[in-house]
Amino acid sequence: MDQLRARRKAGSTGSFSARDLRALRAKARRRPNDFAQTVPLMTLEELVSAKIASGDPYSLRWKKKAPPQIAFQLEYDTEAALYAGFEPNALNAYADALRRCWSLFGIGRGDRVAIFDYGTSPVSYLASRSFTPYLRRGAADILGCLPVCNDGAANLSQRAVDIVRFVRPRVLFLRADCLHPFAAEIANGSVALASYLDALVVVENEAVVTAAARDSYQAQFGVPVYRLLRADAAMFLAPECARCGLFHIWSDLYHVEILAPDGEDRKGRLVITNWFAASFRAIRYLSQVEAVLEPRGCPAGAKDLRIRA
Amino acid sequence: MTKKRRSVSRDRMDRWPAERIERYQLRQLTMLLRYAQRELPFYRERFATARFDPREIRTLADFARVPSFTKKEALAALKEKEAFPAGLEKLERSGSGALCMTSGTLGTSFLYLPENWASLRGDSLARAYRWAGLRRGMRMLMAAPAWHSLAVQETRVLQRIGATCVIPWGTFLPHYAPHFLDAIMDVKPAFISIFLPMLYALLAACRGKSIAPARAFEGVKSILVVGAPMTPLSRVKLKEELGVSDIFEGLGNPEGLTAMECAFHVGHHIFLDCCYVEIIDPRTGQLLPAGQRGNVVVTSLIPHGSVYIRYDTEDLGTILPDRCGCGRTWPLMEVYDRRANVLHIKGQQIVPYDVRLCLDEVPELVNIPFAVIRSDAGMERLTLLIQKPPSGNLNLKEIETKVSSLLRHRFDLEAKQEWAEELPQRWKGITVIEENEWRAARV
Repeated sequence: MDQLRARRKAGSTGSFSARDLRALRAKARRRPNDFAQTVPLMTLEELVSAKIASGDPYSLRWKKKAPPQIAFQLEYDTEAALYAGFEPNALNAYADALRRCWSLFGIGRGDRVAIFDYGTSPVSYLASRSFTPYLRRGAADILGCLPVCNDGAANLSQRAVDIVRFVRPRVLFLRADCLHPFAAEIANGSVALASYLDALVVVENEAVVTAAARDSYQAQFGVPVYRLLRADAAMFLAPECARCGLFHIWSDLYHVEILAPDGEDRKGRLVITNWFAASFRAIRYLSQVEAVLEPRGCPAGAKDLRIRA
Repeated sequence: MTKKRRSVSRDRMDRWPAERIERYQLRQLTMLLRYAQRELPFYRERFATARFDPREIRTLADFARVPSFTKKEALAALKEKEAFPAGLEKLERSGSGALCMTSGTLGTSFLYLPENWASLRGDSLARAYRWAGLRRGMRMLMAAPAWHSLAVQETRVLQRIGATCVIPWGTFLPHYAPHFLDAIMDVKPAFISIFLPMLYALLAACRGKSIAPARAFEGVKSILVVGAPMTPLSRVKLKEELGVSDIFEGLGNPEGLTAMECAFHVGHHIFLDCCYVEIIDPRTGQLLPAGQRGNVVVTSLIPHGSVYIRYDTEDLGTILPDRCGCGRTWPLMEVYDRRANVLHIKGQQIVPYDVRLCLDEVPELVNIPFAVIRSDAGMERLTLLIQKPPSGNLNLKEIETKVSSLLRHRFDLEAKQEWAEELPQRWKGITVIEENEWRAARV
């Protein structure tokens, strides 16, 4: 809290919503070092402190006078619950980020896509305008796919197996904590996953399953397993690319940095700045994700930023 | 212009005279049957097997000749095809939509809900949210998770009315009540749409945090509950405890049923623009008159997505004989429970709702969770498992005597009561527990 007060006093934030996004974006592009040195980080702890101190559920991040048209409680185990608020433009841009993830996983027109995650996960609510008020086009609407979702509760993993068997989706998005019970159900039912789907994508908020665990599940399932990184506080999505094995990030949507501790050269916490959430700012959000920034140049997206996580 | 006229006309439809409604429904049903015959293999095969020709339907009474089916038969069709679609739906080439899942003891089925289904059903449902007080600019807490068919409809409702919304993390299972409570206290919605077991779980969460429910629900004007029947006294007590202006109850299923309460709270108006409801005797399949309990058979009047024609929901319900004082002409109905939860005791058919009505007469037990323990052998008496009321100095023996006396008076049955500090998590929201499971859990 002291840190927050000090930052406010220094005029660096005023509130999390008071920054000029366009100027910041220009600064991040032209003088990234200057951007990193002068713009303070935003941490989860600060968001919690801001919420508790102000009583504002949006931790002083909501910029408009009118309340958000839609707000989601976020998946963080923090002392106080946190929320993300949206107006339609930001919601649509966020859905477009999911659409890009789907495209990178090879999903296209006419495909069925299964999502075994909670309805309040962006992987679910950005999938279709049928699911979410004020969303003009979800990932499935843009690509022409048919989505099917269910709660990603580990004890209901049999439902994920039913979806796979009867819907035969191209890709199944699965919450990371359901991986083990899902694998058990697959083994119990002797389901040959490769006969039903092309790939499985493991989804997690501010964490990723290790590459070793991914490879082990891949061998067990007999289908490619990819990872999808979420950082909901920054409305961030980054898919693991099948071609380069790195997570792709779109620079028109996000700016990322690595905050490497002293002595570490490249590996550090991923810092995210979101460019599309104009009314609900996420500037230099310090995520829990450990990553390494890699050079651009993947054939699947030559201009995309890439991280190894 | 045409569109505007039609919209105004539909808004007034709940006050149309009975003859006009019947004409409308007959027109919709005959159109639907022709569509099913033409496009949907599931019905084409069933009609052929039953030697039924949709062109024979000339009156609403004729419609009872259409063969009905249950979830088991829909699931069998899915299993036979080994993949969705099962023949109850025509997939649309353009436009968006989603697949919704329903799960249960019999298995999982999938319903295809394209956008035109969501608009027709959602626009119809918006009427109920207006009855319950949702207005432009108000904030609603939406409990149905994205994938749920109710969320698909509420998405349309919210946009149509112009309300804003907050969606709590998790899902509507009682385990997530603390998240829901945070959302209510943080964002202060004026309107809550929620599943009844979750509302009870929220009360328990308030007790757990030593927060007065009325404080937690400060600013909430109306609540719309679905998912379980609420007795009149439960409503009164809940309103009092939560400090809200009113609580409305809705009935519905993705297969077609929408029935909602208005402010008169004397039953649920059947939304005749979207569904046609019959009550049948489960043994004979014959239609039952208003006032008699039987299986609820529903037909969705929406010729898009998964189409359910004479779908026996296996819910126990009745169409009420009385008209509502609100002046709306749409008939009223009640649904009491799943047919599977009916208890057969000494020649009587009793559902937990009937027991709840008796418990409500004991002030200490209003809104206190309970379950009936059912035995395989012929039941001679009622065995109830009741959660101990939170107030400390209660004379449980005295309460037991009162409950026994009420049940004896109402059903001429003896009752045994057992008390639990809290109903086990696995049975929260469950009203009938099988005796063998109960015994196993106690060992």
